[in-house]
Amino acid sequence: MTSAKIKERLGRTLFAFGAAICIISVLAIFVFLIVKSAPAFNKIGIFDFIFGNKWAPQGSDTYESALKGSYGIFTMISGTAASTVGALLIGGVLGYFTAIFLVFYCPQKLKPIASTIINLLSGIPSVVYGFFGIAFLLPLLSKMAPNNGSGLLATSIILGVMILPTVVSLSKTALEAVPNQYYDGSVAIGASHTATVFKIMVPSARGGIIASLILGIGRALGETMAVVMVAGNSPTYPSGLFNSFRTMTANIVLEMGYAGQVQEGALIATGVVLLMFVLIINLMFNLISRKTVDGIVKRPKESKLKAKAFLFSQKIKEGAGSISYKIKSSKIGEAVAKASGIAVALILAMIIVFIFVKGLPTLVTKPQLIYGKFEFGSENITILPAIICTVLVVIISLLIAVPIGIMTAIFLNEYAKRESVFVRIVRGAINILSGVPSIVYGLFGMITFVKIFGGSASILSGSLTVSIMLLPTIVRSTEESLKGVSNSLREASLALGAGKLRTILKVALPSALPGILSAVILSIGRVISESAPLLYTMGSVIKAVPKGILEGGATLAVALYQLSGEGWYINEAYATAVVLIILVLGLNIFAEQVGKTLNRRLKGDANERKSKKSA
Amino acid sequence: MKENQKNQLEASFGQSISVKDASLWYSDFQAIKSISIEIPEKKVTAFIGPSGCGKSTLLKCFNRMNDLVQGCKITGEFLIGDVDIYGKIDVNELRKNVGMVFQKPNPFPMSVYDNIAYGPRTFGIHKRSELDEIVEESLKQAAMWEELKDRLNKSALGLSGGQQQRLCIARALAVKPKILLMDEPTSALDPISTGKIEELCDELKKTATIVIVTHNMQQAARISDYTGFFLLGELVEYAETDEIFTSPKDERTEKYITGRFG
Repeated sequence: MTSAKIKERLGRTLFAFGAAICIISVLAIFVFLIVKSAPAFNKIGIFDFIFGNKWAPQGSDTYESALKGSYGIFTMISGTAASTVGALLIGGVLGYFTAIFLVFYCPQKLKPIASTIINLLSGIPSVVYGFFGIAFLLPLLSKMAPNNGSGLLATSIILGVMILPTVVSLSKTALEAVPNQYYDGSVAIGASHTATVFKIMVPSARGGIIASLILGIGRALGETMAVVMVAGNSPTYPSGLFNSFRTMTANIVLEMGYAGQVQEGALIATGVVLLMFVLIINLMFNLISRKTVDGIVKRPKESKLKAKAFLFSQKIKEGAGSISYKIKSSKIGEAVAKASGIAVALILAMIIVFIFVKGLPTLVTKPQLIYGKFEFGSENITILPAIICTVLVVIISLLIAVPIGIMTAIFLNEYAKRESVFVRIVRGAINILSGVPSIVYGLFGMITFVKIFGGSASILSGSLTVSIMLLPTIVRSTEESLKGVSNSLREASLALGAGKLRTILKVALPSALPGILSAVILSIGRVISESAPLLYTMGSVIKAVPKGILEGGATLAVALYQLSGEGWYINEAYATAVVLIILVLGLNIFAEQVGKTLNRRLKGDANERKSKKSA
Repeated sequence: MKENQKNQLEASFGQSISVKDASLWYSDFQAIKSISIEIPEKKVTAFIGPSGCGKSTLLKCFNRMNDLVQGCKITGEFLIGDVDIYGKIDVNELRKNVGMVFQKPNPFPMSVYDNIAYGPRTFGIHKRSELDEIVEESLKQAAMWEELKDRLNKSALGLSGGQQQRLCIARALAVKPKILLMDEPTSALDPISTGKIEELCDELKKTATIVIVTHNMQQAARISDYTGFFLLGELVEYAETDEIFTSPKDERTEKYITGRFG
């Protein structure tokens, strides 16, 4: 009896410990970044650092000596701002109309396929987008550009495509949440489908759509690798569509590898400024989406709805010039929505077809690329070490992140009293973690784990860094799945005399397994895709197969970055990109299937079907 | 020592329930207003009354399921046998002795076998032969052994609603409860399944005390020995079932059972 009580208490403590780790991670990130950047802020001066427009660091500068270099990042703040606006103009607008297309114009049969395509777009690693930029977009743009095509336009296009999935999926959710009575009310008055969509449905989902754009901004702000590959990267203002410029994220990635003392501080300080921007954006997102959620939950009263419909009908009856003009503009909207839907499908097809056409032949003719023995400096390059490194990072980071994530989710959903202070802090921490740009994780890993484990990049440091990054996804999807487990099952278990711990472990958790498993599979895809946080925590050199986890090495994604940058191994780069895409997209599809199948089995359908077959 | 303690506790949980001056609040709402009731052992006692009258709430006091509700406050004395169940006892041990069947069937998403073995396993029985025996015995008690003996390893979720509910009864029986609480166990079932469960009650009262909450007055009349009529958190009348249905003392009881309100 007492031993059961001890077990219960131990369980509770363990779960709370998981939650505590989430808080500790956030605190550690802030404390380390601030402590490490404070001397640089102090030496350079906050104002000069943020508003200075000359970036010319000197590796020999130390905190003791007088500064010889210049450390102003305003050109890069401008670069980040400009490329974000560009991304929003392209990806935001395209995403907005695509969402409208998907919800209101897409044929029923195509809808599931279209949603899958949007999910796949979000799964493609950012280095692959960058590589597509280098290999396809830049040569195309260079025909009309004075340079090789790099600069603001190329960056905006690539970033725009990258934020598409975020914008589309969230806008879609918002549009789908608009009550159907709105639509019925409007159509019943005699308004056309298109007029109803653009005059009633879209405006009603405004809040959610704005929230999706803000989240898109957050993603564009923090994006690193794809930007580095197409921006040109000179530390100047983004003064034209084809002028080389640099973003804050690019600044960190480009110089962190060989930075002097003040320079390193200034780069970490760049990370701090970036983090501030992202946090503000996320705060805005949370405020807006909370408001919209409330708005949707509290459905507008019938009377309000009728008033709206009445006003609309009056307008139609008046048929005045301004209104018919507006309806005409709706027609244009319809055309744009349809075109956007088709454009997005084409973009994805183009990326995948282009890379496969270029990369598959290499994979077929030179299969030793994948399994060959590595020889330093040889013509016969192999990505086998990179594959092994990738597998190791995936395994170690999941071994760390999955238990902690599940423990946290159990604590939040099964033990914590709602709205207690601790719970709020944990949720806040998870929100922040999910917003931190990947390059900032890289910085954090570099100044903590790498320092702890002997000063040089290693698989262990990389895995630890990435595992923190995975926490929010795992916590959230586990919590969602646990919430989905009917309370009547918990009651049944408790009523049989089972304790809380047993009820959670034997009843709640197994029922939540499908959701947890698909989150884990998606996390594998995420680790495979990431490059920015691994570049300096795990190393970027494609070398021999690592002998232990304290050695470093490039993962597949990092290897693709290296191969594409050097220009010597462009065919190998294509082949690597093919391998990456197959892996990541395969995992995405697999995750979806696993979720569906397990869910079905859990509900007993599979069993029924089996027994029918045998009968 | 540990075993001793357990045995002592087990021995002292009796089969009768005695409630004195019980009140219960959900935050500010008082759901039970100083109820006293004596429920005799090895009989079927039915709680009837309109929705929201507190009958289910009182039922859930007997195995302390109300503990799970935030903001729930209980006063008064609840004795099972001689044990004060809100005193220093192990709640899990209490729930083992006071089983419960819920309104909606809630089998675990596991096989039929694992559903029934869940309770025994909770209390440390892991030997396959022992479990086999318990599963068979429980299913026989619930009159389902013939139906299910060939599909013990199939998911319980593939069963029909009525089968699921009887499985839940078998699951509750597997830990050999002395009292079985049933919270509107047939409200989600068809008449045939309902009939089977009513037969079961008659059979089960040979070994266990049964307290059943029901909306269906015919059901109460058919199966129970004692009936309590609840209204707005109060126990209006409590007597032998025949008496309640033939010569109710309270005017409100009479109105309710003749269908004039409720």
